[in-house]
Amino acid sequence: MTDPSVRRLAARRRPLRHANLRFAGWLRHHSEHYLLEAAQTELAKQAGRTSPVGPTGPAAVFWRHVFVPVYRRLPWRVRRRVMARMPGSHRRAWHVPPDRRDPAV
Amino acid sequence: MPLRVVIVGGGAGGIGAAGGVKQAAPDAEVTVFTEFEDVAYSPCGIPYVHGREIDDFASLFLADKEAYVQAGIDIHYETRVTSIDPDRRTVHVEEPAGDIGDVPYDRLIVATGFDYADPGVPGTDLGGLYYVKNIRRAMEWDKVLDSVSRAVVVEASPLGLEMTTALAHRGIETHLIDPRPWPLADVADPDIMAPVEESWAEMGVIMHFTTKLEGFLGDRTVRAVATSTGELPCELAVVCTHKQPNNALARAAGLEIGSTGGLIVDERMETSRPGVFGAGDCVELPHGVTWVPVQGLSGSHAYAQGKAAGVNAAGGERRYSPVYVPWAMVAGKWMIGGVSFGETLAKALGIPYVVGLADGISRARYYPGVRKTRVKLLGEPGTLRLIGAQMVGGEGIKERADFLAMAVRTGVTLEDLAWMENVYSPPIGALNEPIALAAQNALSRLKS
Repeated sequence: MTDPSVRRLAARRRPLRHANLRFAGWLRHHSEHYLLEAAQTELAKQAGRTSPVGPTGPAAVFWRHVFVPVYRRLPWRVRRRVMARMPGSHRRAWHVPPDRRDPAV
Repeated sequence: MPLRVVIVGGGAGGIGAAGGVKQAAPDAEVTVFTEFEDVAYSPCGIPYVHGREIDDFASLFLADKEAYVQAGIDIHYETRVTSIDPDRRTVHVEEPAGDIGDVPYDRLIVATGFDYADPGVPGTDLGGLYYVKNIRRAMEWDKVLDSVSRAVVVEASPLGLEMTTALAHRGIETHLIDPRPWPLADVADPDIMAPVEESWAEMGVIMHFTTKLEGFLGDRTVRAVATSTGELPCELAVVCTHKQPNNALARAAGLEIGSTGGLIVDERMETSRPGVFGAGDCVELPHGVTWVPVQGLSGSHAYAQGKAAGVNAAGGERRYSPVYVPWAMVAGKWMIGGVSFGETLAKALGIPYVVGLADGISRARYYPGVRKTRVKLLGEPGTLRLIGAQMVGGEGIKERADFLAMAVRTGVTLEDLAWMENVYSPPIGALNEPIALAAQNALSRLKS
């Protein structure tokens, strides 16, 4: 019987392909950098500060002007589902805290 | 035959693991291999010795080597593990005196820690570049600091903030460079960091934000740091780049590595290979709110992960939980802290949130030493569950961060916090708790 307090995103445990792991690492590294840069640019503007300086070149143009706007247009649920599909520790078994709203005694 | 547990790494994760094994199986043979001369000291305390807040490095040691001998933990210092063979259950070990060969294990715990990210610019082979990590090297650098008049800190990371404050406190002309618009910009929000920047300016720190590192200049030793806005002459550069998981050994052994570069583990801290566990900066863990894996947390996280890994490796049962990442530190003349994430990271990920902000005070307004306490809370729209927080103040930030981490973890809402009970005692707490004021502010914004 499945323990309802265990959160497990992977249906079953299979060895991950190292090419997938490398791709996930590459995607995470670049997406994190440019999404943070975009958020910092927005908050810097609100605070009257100058924007961050980052890499230049065709790859940077792609991440800034294609990836970030597309990512931002996706609904949060879709983004969350994509992130959940990435390989990582979150796909192993983890107990989640029970809802402790009932009286303690 | 007793259980043989080998631990690779003698930092907080490795030493926590050794203790965890002995707790669950006192008769187990525990062997720790570390590349360094020492274990069981607080590397996080190094900036405060450099800043003269702590008198000496000896204060940072938690136990002497004999204490581990007495505890039955066999630590091999200055010893390098060069490979892991999970099929044969052996590690290959080299000592300064030479190769000591394959060491068998029944359970292995990988706690290999972190390396600083390569700055990726010319001149990284010059002398005068300080990477804060090993206490023995820190002792040597501390003597060098006596003759340094100008230093450049590269990147406003958590360590960068501590080192900037420490060097300024020591009277050294300190320049801080970072390509982002404010310090700690991947973690903290600009309104939280503004008081820190003001206090650094008062301490004489010269800040260079939105400034890229382009190289280290000099013949044999650094004489200047080249940046996108010009050269900064210096006798010392403290490199405080991102902490990356040190997983070359694990990767070569075929252990699965996640998107952060950290080892993939489950709640028992077991890796993709049965019988091989991981702990500390070399692993990644799910974030409790977003479920996105994160890596590179605090020493307290590493130690607790090590304990869990050790207990489980020894046949016991201890679960580690997804993390909510309470954090706090001193920067400039302020304490800053938070839990989970702030607006910057929420915006980056595209997480919907509502925000509440308040400026309260740390003690009764008339009591000497009262300081401003700014609290920013992020709540999930609709349910109003607390999902993140950031703070800056003069005192009590760590305790609030710990409390708010538990609040996020247990599903406390902004409504709960708005009308929370709080301690009132003039020397230690104001009539109105700043957390409650921030939550009330969020509710008011939602109604207006």
